[in-house]
Amino acid sequence: MTKYFSASLAVFAILSVGCERVDTAEPSAAAGSAEQKPSATAPKPAPANESAGKMPAPPPPLTQNADGANAQGAATLEFKKRLDAYVKIHKEADSKVDSLKRTDDPKEISDREKALQQMIMTLRANAKQGEIFAPEYQPYFVQIVKEDFKTRSAADRKALINELPKHMKVDVNTPYPTTIPLATFPPALLRKLPDLPPELEYRLVGRSLILRDVKANLIVDVLRDFVPTIPS
Amino acid sequence: MKTQSVRTITVLSALLAVAALVDVLPAQQRQPATQMSANIEVSPPVGKDSVKFLVVGDSGTGDRVQNEVAAQMWKARSIFPYEFAIMLGDNMYGSERPQDYARKFEQPFKPMLDANIPFYAALGNHDDPNQRFYKHFNMNGQRFYTFQKKDVRFYVLDSNYMDQDQQKWLDKELQSNAKWKIAYFHHPIYSSGGRHGSEVDLRAIVEPMFIKHGLNVVFAGHEHFYERLKPQKGIHYFTAGGSAKLRAGDILSSSGLTAKGYDAEQSFMVVEIDGDVLRFQTISRRGKRVDSGEIRLGTS
Repeated sequence: MTKYFSASLAVFAILSVGCERVDTAEPSAAAGSAEQKPSATAPKPAPANESAGKMPAPPPPLTQNADGANAQGAATLEFKKRLDAYVKIHKEADSKVDSLKRTDDPKEISDREKALQQMIMTLRANAKQGEIFAPEYQPYFVQIVKEDFKTRSAADRKALINELPKHMKVDVNTPYPTTIPLATFPPALLRKLPDLPPELEYRLVGRSLILRDVKANLIVDVLRDFVPTIPS
Repeated sequence: MKTQSVRTITVLSALLAVAALVDVLPAQQRQPATQMSANIEVSPPVGKDSVKFLVVGDSGTGDRVQNEVAAQMWKARSIFPYEFAIMLGDNMYGSERPQDYARKFEQPFKPMLDANIPFYAALGNHDDPNQRFYKHFNMNGQRFYTFQKKDVRFYVLDSNYMDQDQQKWLDKELQSNAKWKIAYFHHPIYSSGGRHGSEVDLRAIVEPMFIKHGLNVVFAGHEHFYERLKPQKGIHYFTAGGSAKLRAGDILSSSGLTAKGYDAEQSFMVVEIDGDVLRFQTISRRGKRVDSGEIRLGTS
């Protein structure tokens, strides 16, 4: 647990530079239509053309609270606490159903996945959006993806967005539809987000960031309007 | 007299066809003694104790085409007796109910499964990660894993989710002393595909490790065609994601990356590693050999 907590703090420390002014750069329509070039690895500066009206509010400036932790540190602690609480539920559910293990019977795989899924859904029957993506933490997530997008070429941003599943209903405590592909999570962005325990992973669906329970194939929480828009 | 003329013409035509085929392949890529069995062009392996395997990419449609390609794979084995198969992801498209496992994997590959040929699967973006618990995929419950066949070490990555744990694991495991190091995963880090193209994000993370630890060859899928790329920084790359789906005409010649591309038909590969030499052949859905060649250790 301390591993992802420390990583989160490091990420936030880096992000805190320039936190007072939020750069909301977005690719322009012209830049967005460029073809992806296989060799284009060098990051390009993003054009300053803002269109992120739907973004959550920018993160608050760094201030210390009564405990001596700054706003980011406090938000990280809160996120960690909520992750811990979820893992506890996952483990409880896992202990109540047959666990997934190596089998040559695909029915066993789907039955066990569904059993775990149902058990978690029952234990979290009252789960609400934002239960893990704490509201006070959300602006930092958005800031991370914004910063990440600024390092990408227009073609790269477009390619990334084109790969994401669209028109998919995303709700907390519902199964991820097995007929919809899991989009590749951009590794560079993944590096910047706080580490998760092995029970969970981040995924992108449309413009939303979701927390997905890997074994249960369950959407655990959703952060909407996470991915910046690209004007067409 | 008439019969003899016809025979002569037939023999001459066959000779000309073979000559034309040989001519399109660079001299160093020619394989010895191509055998044509039931309309499939495959050369037998050269080495006696070589490592021989089948490469399957993006196969899980469960449709007629997948079955046809799988039938060619089985036919190829009568000439090229591969011992195992690697799967490059998208092992199952769409739903993954028990009947889908049957229709999209167990039935098309039944002859191989009956012959106890193990499949070692990587996860694609269409795959539920819980496929790792499916015994026939030999993943032992892991999203990323490694296995060894004689002096060849295989690294099977989950390119859908390259988190810190996987990176650390890869960096450690690549320190192996194996003679050959081969990685395979779903998303190509170099590709001339018009639809997807190179996964530059992933490349930025894994390529430095590949170079640092002397990885030799990479196989990827995701693009529904065959592409052999010009070696990149000393590493040989193949994209072979056309074992059921096809994206015809998707290879962009403007990329400058392609050594040989084939996007006219579905395809698969058979590979042999024999001491310091890796020999590959790419076979189309209709059984035509569309590419072949060899890679020698220490050359790029």
